[in-house]
Amino acid sequence: MIGQAKKAGWVNRSLMIALMCYLLLPLLATLIYAFAKEWQATVLPERWTLEWFSQMFSDARFIDALWTSLYLCAISVALSLAVMLPAVFIITVYLPKWETFMKGVVVLPYAVPGVVAAVGLIRAYSSGPVSIAGTPYILIGAYFIVILPYMYQGIRNSLLTVSAVDLLNSAELLGASRTRAFANVVLPNIWPGVMISTLLSFSVLFGEFVLTNMLVGGHIHTIQIYLYQRLGESGHLASAIVISYFVFILALSLILMKLTQKMNRGIQG
Amino acid sequence: MSAYLELQAIRKQYGHTNVLNDINLQIREGELVTLLGPSGCGKSTLLRCIAGLADIDGGKIILDNKDIVNVPPRSREIGMVFQSYGLFPNMTVSENIQYGMKMRGASKEERRKRSEELLAVIDMEDKRNAYPQQLSGGQQQRVALARSLAVQPKVLLLDEPLSALDAKIRKSLRTEIREIQKRFQMTTIFVTHDQEEAFIVSDRVCLMNKGSIVQEGSPEELYTRPKTEFVARFMGSYNVLTKSEALRLFGQVENQADSFAIRPESVALLGGEDRQSALKAGKQIVDGSIESVSILGSIIRYAVNAADVRLTIDVLNDGRPLRQTEVGGISLALDRSQLLPLEKEGA
Amino acid sequence: MKRRNRWIYAGLIPFIFMIAAFQIAPILSMLTGSVARENGPGITFGFYAQVLQSSYYLKAITNSLLISIISSAIAIVIGLVCAYSITRFSPKIRDLLLTISNMTSNFAGVPLAFAYIILLGSNGVFTLLFKQWGWDVFQNFNLFSWSGLILVYVYFQVPLALLLLYPSFFGIREQWREAAALLGAGKWKFWSTIGLPVLTPAIFGTLGILFANAMGAYATAYALVGGNYNLLAVRIGSLVAGNVINQPQLGNVLAVVLAASTLLAVYLNHKMTQRSRMFNGAPSSEPVRAHKRRSWLRPAAPASAKEELS
Repeated sequence: MIGQAKKAGWVNRSLMIALMCYLLLPLLATLIYAFAKEWQATVLPERWTLEWFSQMFSDARFIDALWTSLYLCAISVALSLAVMLPAVFIITVYLPKWETFMKGVVVLPYAVPGVVAAVGLIRAYSSGPVSIAGTPYILIGAYFIVILPYMYQGIRNSLLTVSAVDLLNSAELLGASRTRAFANVVLPNIWPGVMISTLLSFSVLFGEFVLTNMLVGGHIHTIQIYLYQRLGESGHLASAIVISYFVFILALSLILMKLTQKMNRGIQG
Repeated sequence: MSAYLELQAIRKQYGHTNVLNDINLQIREGELVTLLGPSGCGKSTLLRCIAGLADIDGGKIILDNKDIVNVPPRSREIGMVFQSYGLFPNMTVSENIQYGMKMRGASKEERRKRSEELLAVIDMEDKRNAYPQQLSGGQQQRVALARSLAVQPKVLLLDEPLSALDAKIRKSLRTEIREIQKRFQMTTIFVTHDQEEAFIVSDRVCLMNKGSIVQEGSPEELYTRPKTEFVARFMGSYNVLTKSEALRLFGQVENQADSFAIRPESVALLGGEDRQSALKAGKQIVDGSIESVSILGSIIRYAVNAADVRLTIDVLNDGRPLRQTEVGGISLALDRSQLLPLEKEGA
Repeated sequence: MKRRNRWIYAGLIPFIFMIAAFQIAPILSMLTGSVARENGPGITFGFYAQVLQSSYYLKAITNSLLISIISSAIAIVIGLVCAYSITRFSPKIRDLLLTISNMTSNFAGVPLAFAYIILLGSNGVFTLLFKQWGWDVFQNFNLFSWSGLILVYVYFQVPLALLLLYPSFFGIREQWREAAALLGAGKWKFWSTIGLPVLTPAIFGTLGILFANAMGAYATAYALVGGNYNLLAVRIGSLVAGNVINQPQLGNVLAVVLAASTLLAVYLNHKMTQRSRMFNGAPSSEPVRAHKRRSWLRPAAPASAKEELS
C-alpha cells in the first residue's frame, strides 16, 4: 500500500504537525529552560544565558559522572562484543538448532523489567560465595544482559545478510583456515552491522537509570544518577544536563542512521 | 457490431512522459480482448485506467452507453483480477467470494447461493472454508476470478493473472479462464506479456508498445501479417531482414519498404530431389550452411547462414534424421509471396 | 571434523557463563527467594498471602495495572492513527517523521519526568502561563497525581506504539484496497472489513509490549512522584534501598508478580506475531519485500521499549 509518493491531505498534515508538537514540546521546553536566565509566566524567557552550561562543565561531579558513564558503557559494550561475536557466529553457523532457545534468551530482557532484574541480582549476589553486589562488576553483568537483544539481533542479521556460511566455505575451499576465514572474510563484511548494534547498545546503556540506581546508586554516579541528584537543586542546571545528554544521544543516532542507510544501500546495490 | 466498451483517445502522462497516447479501442459484448506487449508498454496502466484505479488525462471511457470517467471504481461495475491475487487474508474462500455482494447489500441467502454456484464453477467446493494462505497460487487465482464474477460485473479485467504461477498451472488455468469467460459471455480484457498466452485465450489481440496500440486484430492476422518490425519481432521467431539482406536472398523485391519479415516455417530446407519441384513452383533457391540445430519438441529449429544473412528456419519434427551442422552446403527454398514488407515504426 | 568442531564450541563458554550468571541465576534466586522461609529451610507461600492480604500492596498492583492498561490503550489509538497517517506521506517526509519519533522514544525516564516538571509542574511554564491567562481548565491538574502520571506515560508510549505498528501497515497491500474498491467497498468499509482485521494481531502484539513497558516503567514514575505514588515498580524499588533489600521476601514476591504480568504480555506479543505472520505468509509482492528490508533495524523498535523496561 505504500509505493508511489503521495500527496498527503490536510488532515494528515495537521495530524502530523500536532503529533510533532506533542512529541517535541517537552524537549523544546527543556532546551529553552537550559538557556534561560529565568523563565516564568511568559511564552519565552526574557533573558538568555550560557551560565548553566558553564556551571555544568565546571562541576567536577559532572565530569566525573560523564567519565564513569563512558567508562562503564564502553567496558560493557566491549565485553559484550568479545563474548557475543564468537557465540552468535557459532550458533548461527554451526548450531542453527539453538536459535529457538536463543530467541527465548533474547526476549527475556524485554519481559523482565529492570526493577525485577535488580531484585534478583541483589539477592543472588549480596551474600554467599560471589558477593559482588554494589560493585561495578554486578553492573557490568547487568548491562551485558540489557544490551543482549541488540547485540544478538544485530550480529545475527549481519551474518545472515552477508550469508556468512557461504563466505566461510568459499574461503576455506580457497585454502584459508577457519579462524583466518572468520577474521579475514566474515568479520570485515559484518563490521558495519556490528557497528550499528554497538552504537545502539551504547546509547541504550547511556540512558540506563533503573539498574544503575538500584544496584550501585549509592557508590557509582553515572550521568543519569548525577542528573537525578541535581534535579532537586537547580532546574536550569538540570536542563543543561538533559540537553547535553540529548545532543550526545542525537549525535549517536545520526551516526547510526547514516550507517544503516549505507548498509541498506550496500544490500540493495 | 456496436461497441459495449469503447475507449476514445485515452491519454495519460506521468510528468512529461506519455504513458498512454490516444488509445482507441472498441470491445463487443462477450468478447475477450488481450492487451499484449512488453513490460512498460502501458498495458497495465490502461487497465487500471479502465477500472478507475488510475486517472486519465484525456479521453472518454464509454461502458454500456455511459461515460464512466468520473465514476468512482466501486460504482463502475467492473471486476478485476490481479497478478498477485489480492485475496483478503482475513476471510475464507467463500467470504472472499461473497464480499462484493455483501457490499452491495445482497441477502445472506442470495450470497450463499451465488458463492456455491461459483465454487462449483471453479471446482473448489471443498475449499470453501479455507483461508487464502492455505491455498496454492493457482487456487488463489481461481478464487480471485470467482470473487470478481460474483457481482456480475459488466467488464472483467485480468491483469497478468497467470504471471505469478508456474508453467504447468499457467497452461491449465488459461484454458479454464477462457472456458469460464465463454460460459458467462463475460466481456473481458486480458493483459499479458506472453504472446502464446494471448493467442490461445483471445478473440482479438491488441499489441501495444510505448503507450500506443501498434496493431490490433485476430491472433491469426497478427501472426501472419505483422505490420511493423516491432510486431514481427514480438511475434517470436520471425526473420526480420533489412532491404539489402532481402535483395541478397531474393535478387529483387518489388516493394519499396526498408525492412521485411519472413516466417521461419515458410522457408524450406531442400533435399536433392526437391530442388526441381521447388524451382517449378517458382521458388527462390539459395545455398547456405547450417550453423546450429535445436529441438523444440515437435519443431526443429535451424539457424542457417545464406548469402550472409542469418535465418531461423522451423521444420516439423517428423522423424526424419536431423541435418547436422558439419554437413555444410544445403539449399533453401524461399517463397517470394511470404516476404512481408514492414512499415516504419510509428507510421 | 568432529574434533575441529569441538574446539570451536569453546567459544560459547563465556556466553553461557554470562547468561547463567546474570540472567538465569537472578531469576531463579528471585523465585526461590519468594518462597523461602525467613529462617531455616522449607517452602512457604506466606509472603504471597501477605501481599494478597495487604490492601496497600494490592492497591499498588491495581494502580500499576490500571495505569498500564489506560496508557497503552490511549497510546495504541494515537499510534495507530499516526502510523497510518505517516504512510500517506512521501518517503522523505516519512523518514523524517519516523526519525523524530524514534528520537523522542529515547526521551524517557528521568529526563522526561524533568521536562514535564518544567512544563506542567507546580511552577511549570504552562502552569504559570495558564494561571496568568486565566484558563482554569488546568486548575485542578496536578502533574504529580494520577492524571499527571497518565499524561507522562502516554507520552513515552506513543512513539513506541507508532514505531511498532508502522511496519505492519506495509503488510496491507495496495491490491486489497483496489480489489475492495472494485467490489464496492468505500474507505470505511475497507478499513472495518479488511484493514483493521489484518492489523489486529499487530495491534494486540503491540499492546502486549506497551503494557509490559508501562508495568516495568520505574525511572519516570520514580523521578516524577518519588515514593509518593503507589505503583508496583516504585514499591519494589523502595523495598530495595541501596543494594540491600529491606524486606527481601516481600520484594521478591512483588517482583515475581510484576515479572509474571510482563511475561504474560510479552507472550501475548509473541503469539500475535505468529498470527500476523500467517496473514503475510501469502506469496510476496513488492510491499512485503520493502517491509522486510526495513525490518533490518527492527530490534531498534523494541529497543526503545527497553528504554523504559530497564
